[in-house]
Amino acid sequence: MSKKEILAMLLAGGQGSRLGALTQKIAKPAVSFGGKYRIIDFSLSNCVNSGIDTVGVLTQYRPLMLNSYIGTGAPWDLDESEGGVFVLPPYATQDGGEWYNGTADAVYKNIDFIDSYNPEYVLIISGDHLYKMDYNAMLEEHKQNNAELTVSVIQVPWDEANRFGIITADDGGRIVKFTEKPAEPDSNLASMGIYIFNWSTLKQALLEDAPLADSEHDFGKNLIPMLLAQGKRLFVHAFAGYWKDVGTIDSYYQTSMELLREDSEFDILSGDQRIFSNSNIYPPHYTGENAVIENSLICNGSTVLGEVHNSIVSSEVYVGPGAKVYASILLPGAHVESGARVMRAIVGEKAVIEMNAYFGSLDEDEPIKVAGDGEHIIDDLWSRGY
Amino acid sequence: MSNKILGLISCNYNNEAFGSLTDERGLASLPFGGRYRLLDFPLSNMVNAGIRTIGIITPYHYRAIMDHVGNGKEWSLDRKSGGMFILPGSIYGLKNMRSTFLLRDIIQNRAFLDRAKEDYVLVSGSHKIFNMDLRPLFKQHISAGNDITMLYKPITDAENHPGTYLQLDGDKLVGLKSDEVGHANCFMDCFIINRDLLLKFIDWYKALGYIDLLDIVADSLPNLNVAGYAFGGYLGQVDNIRDYMKCSQDLLQEPVRRELFMSENKIYTKIQDNPPAKYGTHTSVKNSLFSTGCIINGTVENSILFRGVKVGEGAVIKNCVLMQKTVVEPGAVLENIICDKHVVISGGNKLFGAANKPLVISKGKNI
Repeated sequence: MSKKEILAMLLAGGQGSRLGALTQKIAKPAVSFGGKYRIIDFSLSNCVNSGIDTVGVLTQYRPLMLNSYIGTGAPWDLDESEGGVFVLPPYATQDGGEWYNGTADAVYKNIDFIDSYNPEYVLIISGDHLYKMDYNAMLEEHKQNNAELTVSVIQVPWDEANRFGIITADDGGRIVKFTEKPAEPDSNLASMGIYIFNWSTLKQALLEDAPLADSEHDFGKNLIPMLLAQGKRLFVHAFAGYWKDVGTIDSYYQTSMELLREDSEFDILSGDQRIFSNSNIYPPHYTGENAVIENSLICNGSTVLGEVHNSIVSSEVYVGPGAKVYASILLPGAHVESGARVMRAIVGEKAVIEMNAYFGSLDEDEPIKVAGDGEHIIDDLWSRGY
Repeated sequence: MSNKILGLISCNYNNEAFGSLTDERGLASLPFGGRYRLLDFPLSNMVNAGIRTIGIITPYHYRAIMDHVGNGKEWSLDRKSGGMFILPGSIYGLKNMRSTFLLRDIIQNRAFLDRAKEDYVLVSGSHKIFNMDLRPLFKQHISAGNDITMLYKPITDAENHPGTYLQLDGDKLVGLKSDEVGHANCFMDCFIINRDLLLKFIDWYKALGYIDLLDIVADSLPNLNVAGYAFGGYLGQVDNIRDYMKCSQDLLQEPVRRELFMSENKIYTKIQDNPPAKYGTHTSVKNSLFSTGCIINGTVENSILFRGVKVGEGAVIKNCVLMQKTVVEPGAVLENIICDKHVVISGGNKLFGAANKPLVISKGKNI
């Protein structure tokens, strides 16, 4: 096997439990976003657009959807003869089977996979972030700095800094301090969970960390502090574009709605750095005689006979006659039957808002309502104010 | 059963009636229905029936078709055994050959038939629009022991559709006619023939390369067992620009759309990974189809918009087909217009075609 300069390990095993009904049956990277994408499309497309042709996808929580979605990797041009995409679930050995216990442990358990490509560098990324990024720029900086680890960082608002791994760097960009979720942050440079390691450095660190009983085998909590304490060359790579970790229903909703704004920072509509996805072939969407569509995104295979305002309508969605959808997200295959109302809500995949049912509320103080995948919301007179 | 059948699609014919729409592309690669090309229908029908070895006879202008089908990935035809075979059509210096199944094209690609292990060949044209499960046709052909079984649809307005018509006695074909009126059995450019017989045809008629397979069938009728197989579903017949507009607008009817695109058997096409269509705040969109990548800010009625079409504010589009990446600038008005790809209509223009004779704006025009 020829040597790879760099390969990517994509962490896709998380449940994303704070996304509630959206991740009941699928892992967070598999959650639908922006109408025709799934969250993992963004990091996979970034890899391909950066010329990285070998990606290991580490799965654990409810991997069925991810496995079938990723398939051969062909939708992202990752069906490569020398590389490509590999789904890497936990596996059993002579000593028995074990789950991935932490992000670093997941990579540790796949040292053989990485070694088989003998790469110079390993890119570690997460499958549940939304952003467009050229990893080449980061790799160039990594090389220039003669670094052993480069961490991509972004400035976050000071009042949110306690949610992130916070980094303090010197003027040359060398990391002097790394604190995971500090109570009193002294910097607002947050780690984006995107790392480029020299493979030799990473491998050694993984081997050192694995036997430690008190380690959580986590990159942010254990590996990086350990490397910092060892005096390794750790640098930051400053990223200025749009980057979002949609951790909660609220942030999922807000991030989706931002796509509708004219001045949206997250530009998925423009042609540069295309986002690829594994989409089924559906015909164009149909708008009926009485359809009203205002400031919305609509995907293929959908039929809109009623009204859609300020909303995202994914593939194969049906909005029946007289139905009204306001400020909502309809995930693939959702049905809003005739006369129904959907207001500030997320309707899960293949969920059905039955005829004349009301779901959600226009009141901005009310929490965003979520109908889980496949759920049926029936006409409940109370919700209509009877 | 289907693994005993070879597919052969002829794209090497054209029709002057389409004007600039087929200047630079074969009829087979004429864009249709927002994201498809006419070839997608026969090709997908074959794949859905389980045929995994398909030869495509290319037209004189073959760039568009090669670009579209590639290695057949979207039709699951990028395979080690079988798959898609590009068969170069014979070149005449004439690009508008009307003959659909020219023997010379088949003779030239005889190796494809010789090497095949399949017992039968499903031969198809490339411009009829239908979505059909072909397996019952195969079944009947094999169980009845026919030499050839031809697919047809009984129609009531034959005078509107010049083409080939079957004269049947029960199931048995007794003759072929080129013009009919009223009720008649319209040949759907699709038939199944035993491979041995097709090879014999080649041997018998090779001196007359410029003969159409259908003429050979008609000549040989007394000695052959040829049957018809009726199709009862939707058949889109695109023989001129008016038909093209009509068939496009047929897609606005729910039953037609459902039958062609929403059935278990999908029509496959090349994927482009465009973002969802985006609608602005002042839009009016009635009874229309929109594809991915469209950006809509104006009024659209009874129209079909292909991928990446932009409609500016205040623009009005009625009864139109706008192909990929057409840009209609703010304030422009279009009625009964077919825009080929990459057309730009600048603001203030008002273009009207007639309902029965739509106006075609050729590819890349800036108006």
